[in-house]
Amino acid sequence: MSALLRSVRDGRGFDGVLALLALAYLFVFSAFPLIYNIAMSFQEVDMFSLASLIRPFVGLANYQTLFSNPDFWPIMWNTTVFVALCITFQLAIGFGLALFFQQDFVGASYLRGLFLAAWIIPALVAGAIWKWIFAGDFGVLNYLLISSGLINEKIFWLSTPALSLYSVVLANIWLGIPFNMILLSVGLAGIPKDMYEAAALDGAGAWKRFFYMTLPMMRSTIGAVLSLGIIFTLQQFDLFASLTQGGPANSSNVAQYWSWQLSFQNYDIATGSAVSVLMLGFVIVVAFLYVRSTRQEHQA
Amino acid sequence: MKRYVLLAIALCFLAIYLFPLYWMYLTAFKPSSETFTYPPKFWPDDPQFNFAKVFVEKKMDTYLWNSLLIATGTTALAAFFGTGCAYALARVRNVWMDIVLFLILMMQVLPPSLMATPIFVLFNQIGLITTPRFAVVLAQTAKVLPLYIVLCRTSFMQIPKELEEAARVDGASRIAAFFRIIVPLARNGILVTSVLIFLQSFGEYVYSRTMISQEELQTATVGLMNFMGPNTTDWNGIMTYAVIYVTPIVLVFMLLQRKIVSGLTAGALK
Amino acid sequence: MAKFAKTILLGAAGALAMTAAASAEPVELNVWTIDRQADPGYVYVMADEFQKLHPDIKINIKRVEFADWANDMMRAVATGTTPDIGYVDNPNMQFLSSKGALLDITPYLAESKIVDTSKIYPGPLSTITWDGKIYGLPRGSNTLALYYNADMFKAAGLDPDKPPQTWQELYETAKKLTDPAKNVYGLAFSANGNEEGTFQFLPWAQSAGADYDNIAADGAVKALELWQKIIDEKIASPDTLIRGQYDSMATFNAQNAAMGISGPWELPRMSKDAKFDFRVATLPVWNLGDKPASALGEGNNAIFAKTQHPKEAFMFLEYLYSQMPRVWNEFGFVPSYPVEVKDPKWPAAYAIFVESMQNARARGPSPDWAKISTPISTAIQQALTHKTDAKTALTEAQAKIDAVIKK
Repeated sequence: MSALLRSVRDGRGFDGVLALLALAYLFVFSAFPLIYNIAMSFQEVDMFSLASLIRPFVGLANYQTLFSNPDFWPIMWNTTVFVALCITFQLAIGFGLALFFQQDFVGASYLRGLFLAAWIIPALVAGAIWKWIFAGDFGVLNYLLISSGLINEKIFWLSTPALSLYSVVLANIWLGIPFNMILLSVGLAGIPKDMYEAAALDGAGAWKRFFYMTLPMMRSTIGAVLSLGIIFTLQQFDLFASLTQGGPANSSNVAQYWSWQLSFQNYDIATGSAVSVLMLGFVIVVAFLYVRSTRQEHQA
Repeated sequence: MKRYVLLAIALCFLAIYLFPLYWMYLTAFKPSSETFTYPPKFWPDDPQFNFAKVFVEKKMDTYLWNSLLIATGTTALAAFFGTGCAYALARVRNVWMDIVLFLILMMQVLPPSLMATPIFVLFNQIGLITTPRFAVVLAQTAKVLPLYIVLCRTSFMQIPKELEEAARVDGASRIAAFFRIIVPLARNGILVTSVLIFLQSFGEYVYSRTMISQEELQTATVGLMNFMGPNTTDWNGIMTYAVIYVTPIVLVFMLLQRKIVSGLTAGALK
Repeated sequence: MAKFAKTILLGAAGALAMTAAASAEPVELNVWTIDRQADPGYVYVMADEFQKLHPDIKINIKRVEFADWANDMMRAVATGTTPDIGYVDNPNMQFLSSKGALLDITPYLAESKIVDTSKIYPGPLSTITWDGKIYGLPRGSNTLALYYNADMFKAAGLDPDKPPQTWQELYETAKKLTDPAKNVYGLAFSANGNEEGTFQFLPWAQSAGADYDNIAADGAVKALELWQKIIDEKIASPDTLIRGQYDSMATFNAQNAAMGISGPWELPRMSKDAKFDFRVATLPVWNLGDKPASALGEGNNAIFAKTQHPKEAFMFLEYLYSQMPRVWNEFGFVPSYPVEVKDPKWPAAYAIFVESMQNARARGPSPDWAKISTPISTAIQQALTHKTDAKTALTEAQAKIDAVIKK
């Protein structure tokens, strides 16, 4: 007993306690809702049984309903496209801006700070503003494009099925850039300057230095930014609610919004939960890859 | 010369990026009837100044106070549970820690809109709904904790192990080494992360809407939604509200940000 | 003498009862509404007045976002945290009644001196009835009509006293009024992929003899094909597919649309924002002389089954119901039973909406309305984006609806 206590206070147990404290917290407040969702996806749920865990078990029936829905595969594909595009561009633009603002010029750090404004605008307000910008008839985006001669006819960004998803992607990239940029800036600041100087003396060009020094040094930061970015993108809900509501004809619908629609617009909670369980599967893969990537940083 | 070219480019980037923000400020000054005119107006003809009126009429002082309480509580709680965990995850490497990290990330996937109902059911069972702001803090902490841990972990990674080992040789206990050596060295990372968490929690909406039923305990985002909604016309008022809400944070952040990143470059590390 | 003593005794008992009532804890009623306090919100105004009449009753109002209503209501029913009284949108009424979430108020109605349900119009009455019992009272009703910009009619050489009377005429008139150079569309309406789309589409289908349980009928196909034509030819904005009714009508008020289909809730805003001569007409039909159709909107005030204070809650319901003569002027609802509205605001519009109410059909009513409405709005969106043709889309919808109705 006292050995255990000593280990906690002054040995390896110390690390264990610190880690378990946070994990325990999450088990109570995050795992419960998840397990709840998983349970519902195998049960028959109605308004009155929503609050009790004991409900008729229906096996995979909810999943069968889900897979036989003609909208299922298109929406899953939309979700993949949404996540892939958002992550790629957020990371690329965020990295570019972080590198740019790392250079020494007047006001660099103040201006970088201004980018964070997008991070704090309430999602509802951001949604309303983007809806006006994209509006086909009176939107300022069409106005700018037409008056600069780039397009001749108004584009209906949100109501053209071929475009609607990409419009939401654009708005979400905008929202995600500050997060990517600030974290990558912090990561860049952690790279010792003298390493660059030494490399420059050895005649390594800017590209070479980026690929052989910056990128490897930033591996852990990029891993964190990527995995969190994917999770944030999957959590994006408000933009869909305020821009397109998944329409027209589900052309911009994604799993997280669809799950909510099934549960609370169609009163089909069980199928809605099944969608959220599938999302969980997706994140398990992402989390697994992230943990794998952190392995390498220890070896390095 | 190069520095001014860079500055010019930076201003261009910023102008493009902040255009939506400009539109928010512009709408706050435009009369509501000008919101939907085409061609759009890029400068208000007849600027409106409704800031005091909106602040008082919408009881923003109460709402902002509640948002502040919830954001502060969440940040404190996340720092309490998260800092140690991030340190442990950065320092120890074995299968168990891999599992912990994996679980922490995995539990954060569903948007609050989908988590809210099960959490409400749970909180209602254990009676937490009677202290609604505290309930929001608990739920929001669970939402931001993984973010806190992953971000802080990267800054702990940058602290050389040798520093802690040197302190241990001098006779410091693990706890003492943690508080006297490790945390001060990682303070920049902790600070950046805390600020991000604070800002996110300040804008929390779904949990507040779900768990708080008394108006006087409600947050600023819910107060905004109460007069926003789908059938609104008072866009001037809404954007005025948003401007009051956003501006102080932007200013504070601009100042803080400079300290944070320049502090990092100055190199407390290595 | 005995009689005298009895009177005294009764009086004393009455006085005692009164002091007892006065000293008792005030009854608190929790009320959920979708109104905004500043609008002025119906329930906020009524609750103030009611509390003045009954100082022993305190009313706490919680506002629920209309879009979140189903979400919040289900959670409240599940956890037993329902309010005493709540707003229930009329197509959801039977869903809640059939599940036992609402209080059967038939026994209270039998003794009520204020409410006589036999006077309520058949449309709203059908929504509060389930299995022969009454579960709520309408707070007012609404229905759709055609708004048009008389100034634009004149400018285009059309007679502003002769609004289109058939859907075909509506299409032709809208086409004439469309002027892309001036950013003017002929028509504004909503084909949103949710309940609003269904609500707007039903009158077009119903006036051609179709209905929700017969949605693949030729009449409905004809109606949906006309919608396709209107969108394809850009007589209405393509954004019609993602815009709700209120946002669509904002373009009418801003003179970016010459006509619009919407309800009486538009009038307060329109009289402020619309700087032109706007007029209202009944919805068109397919052939002159056909029976017109119009959709029934607005909701009911209902008491939840779990209430601890059914008597006081019913008193508040009675009060709300008794104020029906005011709802047009103050809140933009059409009265749900015949009342005399003194000095109605917008008298011409009032006459049109009262007339339209005669033909207003409730959606359903069905306890599974959400599962009927979704296939219809899905079919609309499928057809308007040309993923399928109108006939196929509606036939698919019919199959899904049959599965719900015939189970």
